[in-house]
Amino acid sequence: MQRIERPQTVEELKKAALEVRKNLLKLCSLQTIHIGGDLSVADVMTVLWQYQMNYDPQDPNWEKRDRFVLSKGHASAVTSFNQAAIGCFSAEDVWNEYATDEGRFSMHSCNLVNPYVEVSTGSLGHGFPVACGMAAGLRLKGNNTSRVYVVMGDGEQSEGSIWEAAMYAVQQKLGNLVAIVDFNGLEADGSLEEITALGDIAEKYRAFGWNVCEFDGHDIANIKGYFDNLPPVDSEQPTVFICHTIKGKGVDFMENQARWHAGKITEEQYAAAVVDLESKFAQEGAQG
Amino acid sequence: MIKIDFEKKTFLRDVLGGYMQELGRQDEKVVVVNADLMGTCRNRSFVASYPERSFNVGIAEQNMISFAAGLAHEGFKPYAFSMAPFISMRGLEQCRTDVAYAGLDVRLMATYAGVSGGISGATHWSLEDCGIMCSIPNMTVVETCDEVQAKKLLEKSLDYSGPIYIRSSVEPVIGIYDDSYDYEIGRADTIMAGDDGAFICAGVTVKYAVQAAKNIFQKHGKKIRVVDMHTIKPIDRQAIRTAAATGAVVAVHDHNVMGGLGTQVGQVLAEEGIGVRFANIGLKDHFEPMAHASYLYHKFSLDAEGLEQAMLGLLK
Repeated sequence: MQRIERPQTVEELKKAALEVRKNLLKLCSLQTIHIGGDLSVADVMTVLWQYQMNYDPQDPNWEKRDRFVLSKGHASAVTSFNQAAIGCFSAEDVWNEYATDEGRFSMHSCNLVNPYVEVSTGSLGHGFPVACGMAAGLRLKGNNTSRVYVVMGDGEQSEGSIWEAAMYAVQQKLGNLVAIVDFNGLEADGSLEEITALGDIAEKYRAFGWNVCEFDGHDIANIKGYFDNLPPVDSEQPTVFICHTIKGKGVDFMENQARWHAGKITEEQYAAAVVDLESKFAQEGAQG
Repeated sequence: MIKIDFEKKTFLRDVLGGYMQELGRQDEKVVVVNADLMGTCRNRSFVASYPERSFNVGIAEQNMISFAAGLAHEGFKPYAFSMAPFISMRGLEQCRTDVAYAGLDVRLMATYAGVSGGISGATHWSLEDCGIMCSIPNMTVVETCDEVQAKKLLEKSLDYSGPIYIRSSVEPVIGIYDDSYDYEIGRADTIMAGDDGAFICAGVTVKYAVQAAKNIFQKHGKKIRVVDMHTIKPIDRQAIRTAAATGAVVAVHDHNVMGGLGTQVGQVLAEEGIGVRFANIGLKDHFEPMAHASYLYHKFSLDAEGLEQAMLGLLK
């Protein structure tokens, strides 16, 4: 497979994020996917996978790669389309194989069939502590160039194991660990405010000793800036990005609707959503 | 190979915890993960020798198992120590999803097997762990009964592929094997030969089965086979067939009768279509108030006297 040129500029990344969203919606017209949380984290994931991560699609076991753990394992589709964009496989592969009996792609990421899945996830509260162990393992091996990126949901913060790991990552001085919280405010049953409100999540992580960056998770320039300015890999404080996002971002009828946590859309909805996305993208471009 | 020594008194946590230092010397990939029971699990010598390869996550067993999985993802050989109930239940989903599903070489070092936690009470007993762990795909389940075996098991664990749940009692055990013992994960060992009946046992109950077999021979002249089924999964089916050929099998395990060694043996007997007189001795599927382990072993017929009665009951 040809090495693919990756987006470098903010404009290129915005275009790349648009493509990821279109790919997601097409899949959503074919299969039930966790579209709401895919769309909320799509911008962060685009910058992370297509710009930030040091990763060779030809060699998913390359020792010097940055590691990625999808702790919110249901965002498998947005991960797959970003991996497709850098040449791990094609978007067609994802559309064709998703939720098929021998396919590589499904509702939750599975390493048994897909070597680009570092850690199989799905049950919440697992990926984060596993990522901590990986970060400690990298340190122990003397690998001071690879980072471990782990993406969590906000609802997932209710799991006790998240806070067990949050404490220990600081204790172990895992400055090579970057945790990302997709704070879209909604979980499967409704809003966090109604279920188990997180309060000031940034302050909670800060109190645990983390380097906390809190920002708009749809502002590509901003996201890129925070990745560009990460502390050195060999620093001693883990970093968490609290990304304020909108569940279903980009598709009017899905935005901030808990019922679009997972679902399937019709052909008509797909066509309308793509028009919607394209027109918003054009408007933003015109506004500069 | 067999050198039964009733006078020898070994505490397996001293052996398993202490031998980690030697294992760490042999293989620099060995790492030890604790959850605030580093002293209880006797890992101080490893921690002192290899502080950089020692992790203590605090009282957080879920994190301990997932963190160990992360270390294994990076090529290390983690030995995660705690009490059996906390590994097998508090950290169960982590054992299953983060370790077994991923097929990682994590060693789950579970002390306080069965009711050996005694007066600590049911919170610190593991009546269920063997059944739980045997039901997890990819998981190898072993239990050790003496010092020589425990060390050889640890040696074998260095290069064994896939996760292993290693169960051990905190009650003292006796000497069973000598240094020439050739231990293999997955192959049961016959401690005493005999064709009149067979005990199938593991861990702390081995010493009681050996004593019961000796008593039965002295009193009744019957030769009872004693099979150390140290690998509970994958279980040695041939050893079960051979034991069943004696006509009477007593399986004994410091575990609930549901899901323990007796359940695993019974399943093989049924699958093989073997009709045999069979007794499944263990804890009787209810919770007990805290008591000393020796009292509980006697109450539930796991001790030598109880096993003797169980076997004689089948031989009638």
